[in-house]
Amino acid sequence: MTPPPAEAVAARLASAPVASDSKINRDILSVLDGASLKYWGLLGLVVLGVAQAVATLAYQTYIGMGVAGYSHPIFWGVYIVCFVFWVGIAHAGTLISAILYLFRAKWRNAINRGAEAMTVFAVVTAALFPLIHIGRIWKFYFMIPYPNQRGLWVNFKSPLLWDLFAINTYMTISIVFFYVGLIPDIAIARDRSSGWRKVLYTILSLGWQGTSRQWKAHNRTVLHLSGLATPLVLSVHSVVSWDFAVSIVPGWHATIFAPYFVAGAIFSGFAMVLTLLIPVRRIFGLEEYITDYHFENMSRFILLTSTIVGYAYGAEYFIAWYSGVEAERTSFFMRALGPYWISTWIMITCNAVFPQLLWFKKLRTNLPFLFVLAFLINLGMWFERYVIIITGLSREHDPAVWGTYTPSLAEMSILVGSFCWFSMFFLIFLKIFPVVAIYEVKELAIHENAHGGAH
Amino acid sequence: MPTLVGVFDAPGPVRTLADKIKGRSLGELEIYSPSPFPEPDAAIDKKPSRVRLFTLIGGLTGVTFGYWMQIWMANDWPLVIGGKPFTSVVPYTIIGFEMTILLGGLLTVLGLFVVGRLPRFRLDKGYSPRFSGEEIGLAVTCRDRDVAEVEALMRDSEAKEVTLVDA
Repeated sequence: MTPPPAEAVAARLASAPVASDSKINRDILSVLDGASLKYWGLLGLVVLGVAQAVATLAYQTYIGMGVAGYSHPIFWGVYIVCFVFWVGIAHAGTLISAILYLFRAKWRNAINRGAEAMTVFAVVTAALFPLIHIGRIWKFYFMIPYPNQRGLWVNFKSPLLWDLFAINTYMTISIVFFYVGLIPDIAIARDRSSGWRKVLYTILSLGWQGTSRQWKAHNRTVLHLSGLATPLVLSVHSVVSWDFAVSIVPGWHATIFAPYFVAGAIFSGFAMVLTLLIPVRRIFGLEEYITDYHFENMSRFILLTSTIVGYAYGAEYFIAWYSGVEAERTSFFMRALGPYWISTWIMITCNAVFPQLLWFKKLRTNLPFLFVLAFLINLGMWFERYVIIITGLSREHDPAVWGTYTPSLAEMSILVGSFCWFSMFFLIFLKIFPVVAIYEVKELAIHENAHGGAH
Repeated sequence: MPTLVGVFDAPGPVRTLADKIKGRSLGELEIYSPSPFPEPDAAIDKKPSRVRLFTLIGGLTGVTFGYWMQIWMANDWPLVIGGKPFTSVVPYTIIGFEMTILLGGLLTVLGLFVVGRLPRFRLDKGYSPRFSGEEIGLAVTCRDRDVAEVEALMRDSEAKEVTLVDA
């Protein structure tokens, strides 16, 4: 029998009406639609917050570092506290994306995008602080090893240089990881948008079509990036901790610092994820995707890391006493009962005491409680860095050089500005890119349907 | 050559159909799916992705460059500090490690672009926005005389719709 020509078949193949779009696409992409007056109001407010910080920075740059509260012997103040704080916040995103991916913890699928975005914005915020701290911002390139007329190179044995490399690597890999994960979702948005959005998504989706070849390469890329990012995430805060631990300042010179900082970073990062995702879920009606189960699992992480952090606090005090080193003992005594006692007790109660309430299942799924707790943890973790840095420097070995430090108005202005800067990026992100990883949620849903909901 | 596109709801039948079409050498296959499904993807290419080679090369380049850069720079302007050797391999491990991750990661993404053939400036004719919804598409580019057979195979394999996109 002669086969029919293609044209004849074409005529025969009547296209069925295109099936209605996926509910997952509709639900998650609806977050991108329009923007309420409240959204614009909030965005305007944070932009104002950024603007006042920029003005302060300009003033500080013009006048000099005297406008910060720095004075002998304390020359690391709020800016370095903020740097460590924001680097710490950046840790949860990579933990959720990379480490939980390697462990095949599928529950991460609905929250990884928001957490990755948070990571990128937090690390971008953190990276500003060394620049703000050095005062002469235009001399920043001195830190980079570059060929120069004097034939000098940077000191590779300095923890500050390790930090430069660690933070820049972390920032680059976080951005790359975030973007690679976004490509398939940007393509979904491209297929369902018009106007400037269509143009933007067409460029950013790079012509993604979800072919077998592309998915295979994408899966492998995500796997390898996860494998690379896992030791990276553990190393970054270790390197940050060595900025302190490699010195001989009492209260800093401790071998426990690396694991203590990493646990603290994950702890604060998860708290920030809660701070962001609880309102996002509520405002955009994403309860079907970001469920109580996700919050309960994150609460468990918070409980675990809070316990590690609490243990580290105890271990620090024990070792200070057990070592018999007078300077160490004095430093820790001064932490708890000296001029910075309020900061120390905020740190201990917010980080080691309140999170222990998460042993109760009812509280692990109580979102208003979690939101308040996350706020307290963020506060506590900021104060943890404040306590470590300021009490350490204010009570060094020789009492003749003891001093006190009070943050100046300029430092407070830039601190507030950093939160606004971070929030500004997150608010813009919410309206440009899907806040939940659509293709990953879909992967679970389609597999579930294919297997009759057996999972 | 004509391209037939079958639309499916589940990955299982796509795998079976793809194997049949490949077995009978009826044409070139392409699968479009809204999320990664190892089953049908394996029908197209069973070999592990070559992205891993890019990661390996990037990682090795990074670690070599990281150590070399520090050792060379330390010796290029030899300053005696505490009578210690100019080259201190142990502290150099940190930046060596960071460079491994950095170049390993960047080359992995380059691998994604090369192996996944990105960026593409034009979408395939067989591609439809439906395939970024919840449906899976199997496009078969075949000879005119095989169109009917491919169509029949698609319909037998639970294709909810079959379309001829390029005759």
